[in-house]
Amino acid sequence: MTVELNRRQLLKAHAAALAASAAGLSQEALAQPVPGGVEALKINWSKAPCRFCGTGCGVMVGVKEGKVVATHGDMQHEVNRGLNCVKGYFLSKIMYGEDRLTTPLMRKTNGAFDKNGDFEPVSWDEAFDVMAERAKAVLAEKGPEGIGMFGSGQWTVMEGYAASKLMRAGFRSNNLDPNARHCMASAAAAFMRTFGIDEPMGCYDDFEHADAFVLWGSNMAEMHPILWTRLADRRLGTPGVKCAVLSTFTHRSMDLADIPIVFKPGTDLAILNYIANHIIQTGRVNEDFVARHTTFMKGQTDIGYGLRPDDPQELAARGAGNAGMMEPTDFESFKAHVADYTLDYVSDLTGVEPGFLEELAEIYADPDKKVMSLWTMGFNQHVRGVWANQLVYNIHLLTGKISEPGNSPFSLTGQPSACGTAREVGTFSHRLPADMVVTNPDHVRHAEELWGVPHGLLNTKPGFHAVQQDRMLKDGVLNFYWVQVNNNLQAAPNSKNETYEGYRNPDNMIVVSDAYPTVTAMAADIVLPAAMWVEKEGVYGNAERRTHAWHQLVDAPGESKSDLWQLAEFSKRFTTDELWPEEILAANPAFRGKTIFDVVFANGEVDKYPLSEMREEYRNHEAEDFGFYIQKGLFEEYAAFGRGHGHDLAPYDTYQSDEVRGLRWPVVDGQETKWRFREGHDPYVSPGQDVDFYGRPDGRAVILSVPYEPPAESPDDEFDMWLVTGRVLEHWHSGSMTMRVPELYKAFPGAKVFMNAIDARERGLNQGVEVRVISRRGEIRSRVETRGRNRMPPGVIFVPWFDASQLINTVTLDATDPISKQTDYKKCAVRLEVV
Amino acid sequence: MPDARWHVSSAVVSVAQGAMGAVREGLTALEGVELHGGDDTRLVITIEGTSTGELGDRLTEINLMQGVLVANMVFEHAEETEEDR
Repeated sequence: MTVELNRRQLLKAHAAALAASAAGLSQEALAQPVPGGVEALKINWSKAPCRFCGTGCGVMVGVKEGKVVATHGDMQHEVNRGLNCVKGYFLSKIMYGEDRLTTPLMRKTNGAFDKNGDFEPVSWDEAFDVMAERAKAVLAEKGPEGIGMFGSGQWTVMEGYAASKLMRAGFRSNNLDPNARHCMASAAAAFMRTFGIDEPMGCYDDFEHADAFVLWGSNMAEMHPILWTRLADRRLGTPGVKCAVLSTFTHRSMDLADIPIVFKPGTDLAILNYIANHIIQTGRVNEDFVARHTTFMKGQTDIGYGLRPDDPQELAARGAGNAGMMEPTDFESFKAHVADYTLDYVSDLTGVEPGFLEELAEIYADPDKKVMSLWTMGFNQHVRGVWANQLVYNIHLLTGKISEPGNSPFSLTGQPSACGTAREVGTFSHRLPADMVVTNPDHVRHAEELWGVPHGLLNTKPGFHAVQQDRMLKDGVLNFYWVQVNNNLQAAPNSKNETYEGYRNPDNMIVVSDAYPTVTAMAADIVLPAAMWVEKEGVYGNAERRTHAWHQLVDAPGESKSDLWQLAEFSKRFTTDELWPEEILAANPAFRGKTIFDVVFANGEVDKYPLSEMREEYRNHEAEDFGFYIQKGLFEEYAAFGRGHGHDLAPYDTYQSDEVRGLRWPVVDGQETKWRFREGHDPYVSPGQDVDFYGRPDGRAVILSVPYEPPAESPDDEFDMWLVTGRVLEHWHSGSMTMRVPELYKAFPGAKVFMNAIDARERGLNQGVEVRVISRRGEIRSRVETRGRNRMPPGVIFVPWFDASQLINTVTLDATDPISKQTDYKKCAVRLEVV
Repeated sequence: MPDARWHVSSAVVSVAQGAMGAVREGLTALEGVELHGGDDTRLVITIEGTSTGELGDRLTEINLMQGVLVANMVFEHAEETEEDR
């Protein structure tokens, strides 16, 4: 008893000491000193990035007797410096949910596959055989366009790379898209259109250098708590630092706002043009910067809403056929364009007090203030999301406030490897690694060379993007479909009419790889149990271009296997003779009769690192099964795409060493890059250039003229309220991991309808009453919340989407940004009725 | 299973200006929560409990307390109580 008490006091003191150290407090700030170490506890500690959001925190994972028993924020990790948010707190438990899948499942009747049968446990061989038979039949009948895959920004870099290479070089199909399409496709498209190269120029170090922070459609307090802590430390610890928060409702991040702005949905575009106008009208354009480093363009307008092509709104949109067009223009025409966005007009349109708008504009206009702009889904999930992203670059470029410490337009991400995997590896339906695209013949030729496959093999037609995949499944165009690491039946918009119909279409075979029985898995025909997080070796890339790696620390339960193992093993069931055109085989006879595994994985590159190069103290099931260090081989082959092209990565072993907590690319001569495009910080900028936006041929970033255009659907007499969807602190995305942590489930067990108290009273709705949330697409039942953390303005409701028992995406509209094809989950029209 | 485990975690709590007194008071009133120190804007606490539910509730509750900007966990340890005996 005494021994146990002492041991607990020791652990408690140790815990407090770590917390004080993480916060930068001296040990004297603590009431108790630490009485010695905790080495005696026999826990093996290893580094790993957090499994949840795109912040990319480091954790130390404590393993004892094959199980994760403890975690703590990694003191040596620069991102979180020892801290972990409430979700990170529960990391060790996400693998141990009671309903973890441990064996492949297949719908069967009388012992044979049947789409209408019930799930039965099957062997991996049986699952793969049935899948391969169906995939071959579809490929024979329809060609590469009949099969598709939906992946994720939660794939490891190597898994995403394997999937991309297998789909493109093996199956010759570009029908591969990540759920990151729902998350940051608009941000990526805007980077390419503005800078010609993807991802933020700055990094998290900007938090400690900025004089002002502006949140555009981001509730960092709940969604990115660690970055919020760094922002709060700067705001509270440095006199004069200001914070502006823009949103369509009042949320937790407003607690810290000096300038709180609640605007009418969609009108942020007008605010951004007003700020540009204010900068010009008050003579605060950084003329030298603009003259040397920017170029002006005018965008296509009236570009539609990415709905099905026969929708009346699409037929009426004159610019929908060429939505991405940009034409050269000049400063004078830009000036004339934004001149319409006067303070009076914009205040009236947005519903925002003119005083707040002016204060906000002054933050950007003041040449002595360093500004960090931050955004996530408010900008990206927007029918004009690419424009919104570009309009914020406009104001940073007009003032030259970019690519230097503290001056930083910063697109945050929601998934741990949205940048590393979805964007850098290029798992989108039109992309290849290192920002290359399938429509550029030079890029395709380069990819074929690096992959060692015949010229002319790769498909040069972009595949179906996320929303289009669902439509094509429903229409019976796409017939074999594999979903990995995501829960798209819960995440996709208008899901009852599009996604679910597609999954249950009798012509389609749906395969889902997951660790848990999500609604997507339960709607599938075959379910494959997946190993997760530290049950496998991996690499993630976070929102500040940081690539970081981890080892396998524990075994996956039962027969669970990583997505990488699943992809590679499945590829053994196909040969080039079956999948490739005869003329390519005739011209390249050496490829005849090879398995796709031989071409994609055992190709002399991926398999060139022997098992002896692995660290002895860590197991690696994939490498042990395939007989070579497959993760290292995939990473090194992938890295060849970016080295020397502005995307340089360090050697694999560097990331896997104990000392390194990730490095921000480009990593040149062993040095990471904190601020790109700026002389002295970025090795790609030559001396004397000062700033070079080298992603574009002319070295200049684009300032874009585009107007405010209204959302796809606005409230009317029949559907009189705006619906905004999003997340809450306790749950991450669809809740498939966090809903399995009893504490998080208990803390926020069911979604609610956050609404304005006066709106509720006018409709006769009391706090807690059950209501139907109804749109033109579908409805859910939920309960009214007029208090709590989100305070809604009149006419707007907020419903979080983590709850599988209240599928709010049966209500949402499948309108997308026509350029990025990313869904707008923040704006559609609904009405409420008492049950 | 949850009841057989003992947990301890530590957290850093960022506090809004002018709210330190109220937050200290609020934290002290929470079961299993101990204050270990801090500075003008932050507090170091430990949370311990006999069930996982108790601990999770506490941290979330603290995050959503009036005057708390954010509460981040630093260290967490969980073990079966039996193994000590």
